[in-house]
Formats: sequence, C-alpha cells, structure tokens
Amino acid sequence: MKLNLLKLSLAFTIAFSGMLSAQQVSGNVSDETGPLPGATVVVQGTTTGVVADFDGNYSISASAGDVLVFSYVGYTAQEITVGNQNTINIVLQSSNELEEVLVTGYGSQQQKEITSAVTSISAEEFNQGAINDASQLLQGKVAGLQIYNRGGDPNAGTVIRLRGLSSLGANISPLVVIDGVVGASLNNVDPSDIESYTVLKDASAAAIYGSRGSSGVIIVTTKSGGVGAAQLTYSGQLSSSSILNQIDTMSPQEFIASGGRDLSSQTDWLDEVTRDAFTQIHNVSATGGNGKTNYRVSANLREAEGILLNSGFDQFNTRLNFSTTALDDRLKIDFNTSFTQRDQKNGFKESMRYATLYNPTAPVYAVDAPYAFNGAQFGGYYETLGLFDSYNPVSIIKQNLNNGERRELNYGINLTYDVSDNITAYFRSARQSSDYANRVYFRTTSLWNSSNDYGGADSPVRKGAAEFYENNSEFQLNELYGSWKKSTDDMNLVVTAGYSYQKENYNEAFFALGDFPGDEIDYIDAIEYSQDLLNAGNVIANSGRNPDTEIDAFFARVNLTWNNNFFLNASIRREGSTRLGADNRYGTFPAISMGADLAPILGLSGVQQLKPRISYGVTGNLPGQVGLSQEIRGWSWGGGGSAGGSTNLLRAANPDLKWEEKTELNFGIDLTMDRLSATLDIYEQTSKDFIINRVVDAAVYGFDRRFENAGQLSSNGFELSVNYDVTDNYNTGIVLSSNKVVLDEYVQDSDKFGNLGAPGQNSTWVTRVKVGEQVGQIWGPVWDGSVTNGSQNFKDVNGDGELVVGQNNALDDNVDFDVLGSGIPDLEIGWSNQITIGDYTINAFFRGAFGHSLVNTFRAFYEPRVGSQKSYNYVNTELANPEIKNANFSSLYVEEADFFKLDNLTISRQVNDNMNLSLNVQNAFVITDYTGSDPEPALFDLLDGNPLAPGIDRRNSYYSARSFTLGINYKF
Amino acid sequence: MKTINKIILGIGLIGITYSCTDLEEELLGDLTSDFSLEGISTGGSGGGGDALTGVFNAVRNAGTANHGGYFSVQSVSSDEMAITQKGGDWYDGGIWLEMHRHTFTPANGPVTGTWSQQYGSIAEVNNAISNAGLDANQMAQAKVVRAYLHWRLMDLYGNIVIADGSGSSNQSSRSAVFNWVEGELLSALGMGSSFDLSGLSNSSLGTNDVKYRINQYSALGILAKLYLNAGVYTGTERYSDAAAAAGHIIDNGPYSLSDSGISVPNLGKRPAVSSDPDNLVGYAAIFAPNNENNPEIIWSVEYDEATAGGMNFHHMTLHYASQYTWNFEAQPWNGYVALEEFVNSYEAGDDRRKANFIAGPQLDYGGNALVDLASDSPTPEIVYSIGINELEPNGARTGGYRLGKFAFKQFARPNLDNDYPIVRLGDVHLMHAEATARAAGNWALALPEVNAIRARANVSALSSLTAEQFLAERGREMFQEASRRTDLIRFGKWNDSWWEKTNSDAYRTVFPIPSEQLTANSSLSQNTGY
Repeated sequence: MKLNLLKLSLAFTIAFSGMLSAQQVSGNVSDETGPLPGATVVVQGTTTGVVADFDGNYSISASAGDVLVFSYVGYTAQEITVGNQNTINIVLQSSNELEEVLVTGYGSQQQKEITSAVTSISAEEFNQGAINDASQLLQGKVAGLQIYNRGGDPNAGTVIRLRGLSSLGANISPLVVIDGVVGASLNNVDPSDIESYTVLKDASAAAIYGSRGSSGVIIVTTKSGGVGAAQLTYSGQLSSSSILNQIDTMSPQEFIASGGRDLSSQTDWLDEVTRDAFTQIHNVSATGGNGKTNYRVSANLREAEGILLNSGFDQFNTRLNFSTTALDDRLKIDFNTSFTQRDQKNGFKESMRYATLYNPTAPVYAVDAPYAFNGAQFGGYYETLGLFDSYNPVSIIKQNLNNGERRELNYGINLTYDVSDNITAYFRSARQSSDYANRVYFRTTSLWNSSNDYGGADSPVRKGAAEFYENNSEFQLNELYGSWKKSTDDMNLVVTAGYSYQKENYNEAFFALGDFPGDEIDYIDAIEYSQDLLNAGNVIANSGRNPDTEIDAFFARVNLTWNNNFFLNASIRREGSTRLGADNRYGTFPAISMGADLAPILGLSGVQQLKPRISYGVTGNLPGQVGLSQEIRGWSWGGGGSAGGSTNLLRAANPDLKWEEKTELNFGIDLTMDRLSATLDIYEQTSKDFIINRVVDAAVYGFDRRFENAGQLSSNGFELSVNYDVTDNYNTGIVLSSNKVVLDEYVQDSDKFGNLGAPGQNSTWVTRVKVGEQVGQIWGPVWDGSVTNGSQNFKDVNGDGELVVGQNNALDDNVDFDVLGSGIPDLEIGWSNQITIGDYTINAFFRGAFGHSLVNTFRAFYEPRVGSQKSYNYVNTELANPEIKNANFSSLYVEEADFFKLDNLTISRQVNDNMNLSLNVQNAFVITDYTGSDPEPALFDLLDGNPLAPGIDRRNSYYSARSFTLGINYKF
Repeated sequence: MKTINKIILGIGLIGITYSCTDLEEELLGDLTSDFSLEGISTGGSGGGGDALTGVFNAVRNAGTANHGGYFSVQSVSSDEMAITQKGGDWYDGGIWLEMHRHTFTPANGPVTGTWSQQYGSIAEVNNAISNAGLDANQMAQAKVVRAYLHWRLMDLYGNIVIADGSGSSNQSSRSAVFNWVEGELLSALGMGSSFDLSGLSNSSLGTNDVKYRINQYSALGILAKLYLNAGVYTGTERYSDAAAAAGHIIDNGPYSLSDSGISVPNLGKRPAVSSDPDNLVGYAAIFAPNNENNPEIIWSVEYDEATAGGMNFHHMTLHYASQYTWNFEAQPWNGYVALEEFVNSYEAGDDRRKANFIAGPQLDYGGNALVDLASDSPTPEIVYSIGINELEPNGARTGGYRLGKFAFKQFARPNLDNDYPIVRLGDVHLMHAEATARAAGNWALALPEVNAIRARANVSALSSLTAEQFLAERGREMFQEASRRTDLIRFGKWNDSWWEKTNSDAYRTVFPIPSEQLTANSSLSQNTGY
C-alpha cells in the first residue's frame, strides 16, 4: 500500500513536470472479443479525458510521464505511463467478479470480503419493459426478497419483504438507502436512473443500520457522471396493457336460467369499465465530466394508463448527480438532487368489484330500464335501488373523480475528505420532503360514494361529496463518520466509526363535505356552496401531526482481511429513539461475521472462490407509529351543543415499551468457478418483544387495548442462487428461497384475524395464529363435499361425534376447524435466461411461487346461489356448486394458488452502436389452478395491513394486466 | 491547511450539536392525560359545560341504543326480537344466531364488546370522580352513574371486577357486587348503610326534574331495579324495598304519565299522512325525536343527530329501501326484526302495537310501493310480514315487523335525535306494581297500575292477573327498552323455548366472561357452565 502511494505521488510529480512537452497519443481499446466503444481514457490527476469511438480508437494529448487510465464498466482499469511512444493499444480484462466492489452500509467492500448475506444486482440483470416502480426491477431476482404487486393498479404500492415476517410492527419492509441516504423514498427515483442494488439480507449486514435495518436493507446506487464530452442518451417505451384474468361470472342467459331477476338487457360490466391502456415513457440523460468534475442529469417522463377507466398517472422526474474535488483532490464533494411530480388518477377499484357482481341483465343507462326509472337523478345511469351493496359500476367510474398529486424532493451533499493517507472523514447531510394531496368528488348524481357519512344521489336532502386529503413528511439526515485503514503484507484492516442523526415528521389533514347544488361544475373546486356548512355535524374534518421522531445513533465497524482469504467483519450500533417508553429509549445492536476462501487453501483448480461464512447480528425494530407508550384520549362534545365536552380513553399508557429485537444467525457459502457461480444461505431469526396492541384488563386500564412488548416470532429459511453460462451465448440463473415463520410466544394461545366482512360475514375470521405453529394459517370448517337443503355439510374434523363449526368456537379445543392452507408460499423461484443470437438478445424471466393458498372472497360471497341475491350476479367458476344456496365460509373457498409464469420476456436488437430496440411482454402467461384474478400471494391482509392475516384475496382487487412494450435506446 | 481544519471543526461541531438531542416525545396531534384532566376540571374548555359532561357521555357511549353492545345483547337474547340471517346477509359468523338461541361462547364478539364498553365508560366516570373537582352533588351523581354501569355488568355477567378507581383487578361475587352497588346508591341517597327513605334529607342529590342528570328519583329508580331483581342476584328477595323506592318516586316525583292516547308515528312525515313524528302524543311521545321534555321521563340518555350520535335504530332494523320512506341520508341495514309471537301478544286494539312496530306494505315518500329487486318472493313489493319464515339461513328479507318505537323523523341523518329513557314513570309503576304484588304474594295488588298503563294504550282493564299476564304486559310496555332479558330471568322464562330457540341451560342466565379478558386478567375465573 505504501509502495502504491509512493508510485502515485511519483506519478503526480512526473505529470506536473511533463506538462510542458505535450504530445498526441492514440491507439485502440479492446477486450478479447473486439473493440470497446465508449471506453474512457483519462490523464490521471488532470481534467483531460476522451472517449473511444465506435472502433475503440482514441486520441489524447499527453506528455511523457503522464499516467493514462483506461477504463470501461465491467472491466479492470489499466494504468499506462506514457513514454516516448505515440501509440498505446490496450486489451482490457473483464473485471473479476470477486473484486467487484459492493456498496454496503457506511462503506464498500469487495465481493470476496463479504461475510454476510449480501446480494448485488446491476442494471443488466434488471427486469425489462415498462416498469414504473423502482422495486419491480428486482422482482424475483434476489433470493429471499419478496416483491409483490398484486393486480394491475398503476398507482398501487409494491409490497416488499425480506426473509419473511420478522416483526408485527409497521416496519416490516426493508429499509431503503439511496446513495447513502438512509430511509430514502423509492418513489423519488426513476427506474431508469438506477445503476445497481445491494440487498443486505441478514442481521449482521444490516446491524450497522440498527433499528431501521431489522427487515433488511436495500441499497440503491444511482447512475453517476461519466468522463468526457457530454453523452446524451434517450430511451423511450410505448406499452399497451389489457386485462389478464378475471373471475368467471354468469352470462345473462345463465343468470336468468339460475333464477336471477331479468332486467331485459345484456351487459358485460367488466368490459364497460376497462380498456386497453397505453403507457409511454421517455428518458433523457446527459453525462459528462473531466475526471475531477463529473455530472449526470436526467429527465424522465411517464404517462401511464391503468386498465380501469380513469386510472393512471403522469409523472415527471429529474435527477442531478454532480461531483467535484477540491483541496488538491483530497476533498471530494458530491451533490445529488432529485424531484418527482406525479399526477395520478386513482380511479375507483370498487368499480371492478361491482362490475363482477352487478346484475348482468341490468342496463347501463336509465333509458334502457325495464320499468319507469328516473334517470336524471342518477346522471342518466340505471341503478337497482333499495339493495344492499349494489351500484352501477359504470356510473361509479365515469361520474366521480379521485385525483392525487405527489411531489417528492431530495437533496443532499456528501463530503469525503482524505485527512491523511489512511484516514478518511465523511460527512453527509440530506433532506427529503414528500407531499401528497388527494381530491375526491362524488357527483350529486352518483348513487355510490365511499362513506356512509355522505349523502348519495338517492338522498333527497344531501347529495354529492368532496374530500380533501393532504399529507406532508419531512426527513433529515446528518452523519459524520471516519475510516482508518491499515495494511500490512498479510493483513488489511479498516475501522469505521461515526454518528448518525435522523429526524422525521409527518402531518396530515382531511376534510369532507357535501350537499352541492348540482353538477354544472365539479364543486370540489367551489366548496363554499356546500349546504353542509349550514348543518352542524355534517362536515367531517380531522388532522394530525407527529412530533419529530428522532434517532440518535453511534456506530463502529471493523473489517479485517487476513492473508487475502480470511475475512472478519464486526460492527456495533447504539441507538436511541423518541418512539419508545421513557425508560427504554436506547438499545445496542452488535454484529459479527467471518468467512474464509478455501479455494486457494485447498488449491482447487478451476475454482476461484469457495467461501463458507457465518454471521450473527442483532437489529431492533421501532414501532411504526408515534406515541405508543403514551395514553391517548379522544374528545366528545356534551350533546345538544350546549354542555361542554369530555374526553375518553383511546389507548392506555405503557412507559415500559421497549425495542423489538431481532437476532439472526446465517450460514452461507459462495462458490465461483469459470462458468458457474452459486450462493447458498441458511438462516435462523428470532424476533422477541414484538410490539402489539394487545387486550388488557378493561376493569384496570379503563380501555381494553394498549401496546406492549408481548411476543416472539422465529423463522428459518434458505436461499439459493445459481448462475451458469451454458454456452457463450446462453446464460441461465435461478434463485430459490423458502422461509417459515413460527409464533413462539403470544398474549394468548391462539388468535383469529381476517374478518371477511359485509354482507353477512362480519365476525367470520378466516386466519388463525397459534403459539408454536407457523404464521399464515387459513382456518375454517372443512366441507365434506355434500349439500343438505342448500347448506354445506362439514366434516367432524376431530372425530368426537359432535360437530362444532361456529365462528365463535374458532379457537376452542373441540372446534371442527382445520388449517385450510397457508397464506405464505413454501418456495419461491425466479429463473432468468439470456440468449444472444447475433445482434439479438432474448431475456426470458420466469417466476413462480408454490405452497400458498388464497381465500377467494369473491367466491365466498357471491358463488352460493343465495335466494335473496337474485339481483346480483353469481360468481361461477369451475368450482361452483349450484346446490349451495347459503354463504358459509369453508374449505371450498380456499384454493391452492401455486403459479408459474413467464413474467418478463424481452427480445432486443442492437441495431448499431447507437441504437437498441426491444420488444417486451410482461405477464406473458400464467400457469395456475387458482380461479381468482391473480394467484400472487397476499402477504398481509389487504384491508388493514395485518401481517398475521395473509392469504386473503379481498374483493377490493384491481385485476391484473398483460403488457406489450416497444422500447428504444439511442445514444447521440 | 487552515481551511481544512475549519472544515473538520465545523463538521465536528454539527455532529456534537445533534448528539445532544433530548429524546423526549411530546405528542402534537393527540390529547394526552395532561389535557384530559385539565379539560374536565375546568368544566369543559371551549364549551362552557359542566364537569359531569364526561360522566353522562360515558353512558351514551356504553352501547345504550346502537348495534353490537348493551342494547343488542339484552334484546336479541330475548323473545322480543332477533336478527335473522337473510341469505347472504347478517350471518356474521353466527354471533346473532347464537345470541338468540343462547349458544353464545366466551369468544362471542358482542359479549366481549359489551364488557369492554361498560368498563370504558366506568373509567371515564372514575376519571371525573378523581380529577374533575366535583362538588358534593356532582360527586353523588357520578357515583350513581358508576353504580348503574356496574349494575349492568353484574346483571349480564354475574361475578365481575368492581372498578372503583382503586385499580384492583380482583373479581367479586355477584352478591358482593350487589352489596357494593346498593351501598353506592344508598350513600348517594343519604341513607347510610341500609335502605331508609327518611335518609333522603341528607342526600346531596337534588329533586328537580333534570332529564339528563341524576336526581333522587333517578337514583331510586335504579335502586328499585336492583331490589326487584335481588332474588336473582343474591338469592335474597327485596320486594318491599323495591316497592318502597318506586312508590316514593310515584308519590313525590314531579313526573306524570305521558298523556293518554297514542298517535301512530312511523309512517313518516309524508304528504297525505297526518301523523308527524315531531308532534306525537301519549305513549308514542315518550320515544319521539323531540322527547327531551316528556313528563314521564325521569332519567334519559341524550342523543342528538349532530352533537351526540350513537342511536341508529332506523339503520339497525329497516329494509334498505325504507330509506325512501323517510328520506334518510343513508341506507338502512335490514337487521333487527320483532318476533311474531311477541307481536301477537298485543291485543288487536292495543295502540302500542301501532307505535312499537313498522308493519305491512311500505311506500316511498311519494306514496309509491317500495320494491326489492333481489327479493325471493315473486313480487318485489316490500311488505313487512308479521311471520318470519326462518331464523336462518334464508330468513325472508321482508319477514318480521320492524322496531319502530323510537319514531324516525323525515330526513333523519345516520344518528337519531330521540333520547333514550333509562328510568321512566311507566316503568316505575310496573316495578312498583310487581314488587308490591310479589311482596304480598298477591298479583291482584298489581291490577290498578297495570290497568292504568293499559288504559293509556286503549285496551280494556283486566279483572284478574297472573304472573304470566303481568310479564306479558310488561313486555308490551317495555319493548325495545333493553329490559326483556332481565325480566324473563326474573320470571323464570329465560331458559324456555320460543320460536327457533330451544330450552337453554340454567347457567345461561349470565353471559360468559369474555375469553379475551380471562387472558388479560388471570384473577378472573369463568362463570359456571362455560
């Protein structure tokens, strides 16, 4: 190391002294197979640099003694000192995977030095096509990283979970770190600006992030500046989507034959509310720089339509990454900023739900009604009045507005200062703000609206409603840390230590009011005419503000490499948070991991790396909400408007609330051979003292719920990823993962969750947890296949001769319920294939999940031929039994939802050096027996987010779509 | 180098500044304990109310007149009403079917919720007692309310925890709770340790007619209820004391029966319909939307469509389409129905039958027939029939008369305006009559008061009376007033069979202790039989 530095300073000296005698050096840059267009050549230590042309040729002005640095992404850079020669031809070696540098927490390491479960994915491996959500680039690519976006709603959030469930708090998604900024938002990074991802999977890797790393960490690195004259790149995509799958219902003829009420029309409701949706994406970026000062600036425009009418978004995003050096290059300054403006039409998913169950013989418009019907009152639409939960789906989606607007802004600065040869100091300061505003307007002629608190078109006195919602969140991060390096012949030591301060706050406000004069205008823009303003109690308003949530943390880490094949990493973080009880604010989170590369020790031929490793770490998990340790009260006025008011308890205090703590032990092995690389990880996690809102003695606390540290989860699993170059033109890779979560301790022996809901199935809970058993059980009576008087007969599961199937007996010892399936898959697979034929590259990515089931709620509610349901359509899948005339949840409505799909197929052609064309299909085909619209697992209850109630395919789903995308990439 | 040092120094300073953070969390968007004490003790900031507002709000919030809580468990478990399963609607895991058939379990949602609801309200009363700076009169009122809520719990669950603010979680036997409730009431009435009307002069409670507050008469009314059922609670009958307490109200209270006659309230204020829910008379007026000054009401819970929500009988009982009769803002739920046998216990000319039930063909505001396109009958017109085909699974959507006692006003919002009486003179007369008769072992002694009640309803006087007849009369008068379960138990009829309910075991006279609470409080033990 010292020697290198000496060389370097020598080079500097020579470079400066040689400035006077510049000469022209030219040549060619290539690899084993041919020229490398776009390779950069820079005179070290100067701002002089050029880019090789299409044939790999370059020409640069340099002086004898200058050091030329030749580099190209994915290749090991080479340095050549200029002598007298005028021509320098270089053959670059593709960089050794083992020396690939991965960004990890507060630093970076070479792949070979990593001793915990860490996976890195670079841009070439990303999913292709019209991808609007940054996390979907990774879907299926990282073993153990679950990314699900059920359905085709372009505005729906993606569910991300690493290594299963490790907490019951809100903090069950991995922490996102973008360019070093902890807790950054993936909403503010355009997928086309991402260079690479690093996923820190186990607790030892994540422990340096302390409390926020408990569910794993996803580190995002955005593309940064290049060298040379500005390089302008354009990429564009045009995409068309259509509905992939829907649940089978009856045709008008079948409906009438089954005794449905004939309203004399024939309407395909789903067809009426969906469309072929178009999406266009345009990205422009410019990069440039001179080696000292580099920049990349990009602008991204997305206009996406959803398959449901009036849903979609327009988004504009721009990002600037700028870096420069000062103080003799000892200080490096990085400045990043990004801004997103997104206007979204959220539409109303309910329209799809009612399209599924609305009478197929009902007309869309009032003029076609089979009897006298006052259509003017309903905007010209027909409505089956006087029924529960029955609304014209076309009226819902066409009459009403649901528009959101999101703005995100980040900016931050990183300073890196080389204090001395082996000490570097880092300072980072970043700010992030996010605003979301939503406006909903229900016209006075809309029968449907989202709340019982509003008047619908059938109300004689109060029609129409407008909703206003806004939230704002701010986040700031300040970090100061340093690293110290020490190298000897057989040892490399890096010590990092620092301090992190994080502060965030959040506020929101909502109000709603209605009763508007008409629909001449959208009165959401003229709410002063609401009659609710004259009537007490009709205006709904609420607002809230979180206090600043602060985190104070000190951390330290040691990376030790011995003999270049033994590696040890250890870290510790001590952290305090405002969110915990007064007595338990601070927690300490240690981690240690080690590994050894056996390949050189054993002298294995053809094996570059064989590295077993073991790691152990502790992470915390903060509660998702503020103030859980405190008592909260509500206020109510006295009544009659006359007599003051009073408070009532909404939550009892718990000053002892403390950190949820996760420990994890991970064994892994990395194998790298000429054509094959593989990684296997096996892990065990225990999360204790998890925080839940538990039932407490109402007589003592005055309220029957408060938050306590009251339980323990443990999980284990494995992850395998294998990559193999079958031929020079065919590469295939597979990732496999499996995870089992067991509830070790809980406030009671068992509990039930996942209420099916109205009509008629309130208090029908379809999932259960039980101490000592796996989380994710779908729980209910077992249908024996026979029907008596329209009702299913159930099995006497425990064989005691007594049939106990009441929902209130669900947790009793003698209940005849059984585990009807698991909401969580046993095995998940991602299989990538890349084939190169001439100019063409074919990427086929298959993805599957196995062993999970879904409660098909559409069937559970609407498949029984309930007599009093004659004016609703019946769901009519291949599993339907027309004899069943009574809606009772049972095993009949729980379906295995194993699936295997061609998730992403891309054919691209490198037309010339500047242009690449591609054709992509997303959701090309799905193989599954599931009769619902989407077999992807529901990892938590889609209604309330409860992670203990997975596996329920709720009726509020947005049907999924298949998309075809044409893409172009052009370098100017 | 100087610049560099400054930078390092600067960075260091920033770090140090932030590291001295105080991690105290002060909530900004929520009311915490600090506020609540201040709010109550100053008599309600912002509204200028009195310190008892919270105490009486607590009764309103205890499931008194809405779905799922105290009202529902008292009523649906009795022979006056049920929630039928109407095909795909109202199965709800069977909780209401088992409520009606007395097969409820410790996990039953309404059984669980009602327990928590009462204790939540008791906690609010305790908060006022310890922190609101109550004067002697207010303190006495608060303690009566607390005793009343404990009476509900003791009546429902038997052995419960006395939440007197001490924080104790020990379970007390039903008779110990009885003694405590009695003691609290006696003390508020100035009576010392035993019932003695002459002690009333020492009472801090007033005697003026205050519907929304507690005076001596409301406290005596609650005491009368307690004594009337003493035999059930403790095994020791207290009929004479019950009669004395009720008699004192009748003789001395500033109350009179709501005048004779009954108007038919529930056709809505429609054109061409003469009855007007804002202008009812007699029996119907006690429960009307504008019943706040009815002379018969001794203590009622205040409800208001805008400021004191929580009563929604219209949603609970009416068919979805009945929205168009009264022009309700929101759609009803088609749930609660009156049982045929119960409706038939009214004689044909009994005006209470018209007042208490909504029956027959239903018309919209304009007078056109309401229809139900999903109806299973061949004609879609909605006619509430007296008979109900079955309790489950396919109860007719229009089967059963509907609960109409608390009249709905035209254009009603999701919350109703009618106040809910807890103690009213009609009930006090019946308690007095029953207690007198039982004390003497002679039901004929109840005849004068029973006949007075009957006269108001336009039915002929009875010349003789049996216990069974008395219970039926009490049922007709007290329908929808959350009294039926307690009455059936006292008359030994609770475990009988009726309609689709078969005989239930004797232990069902008390509900099970909720299993959630058994888990949360290890000192609780389950009631026998569960």
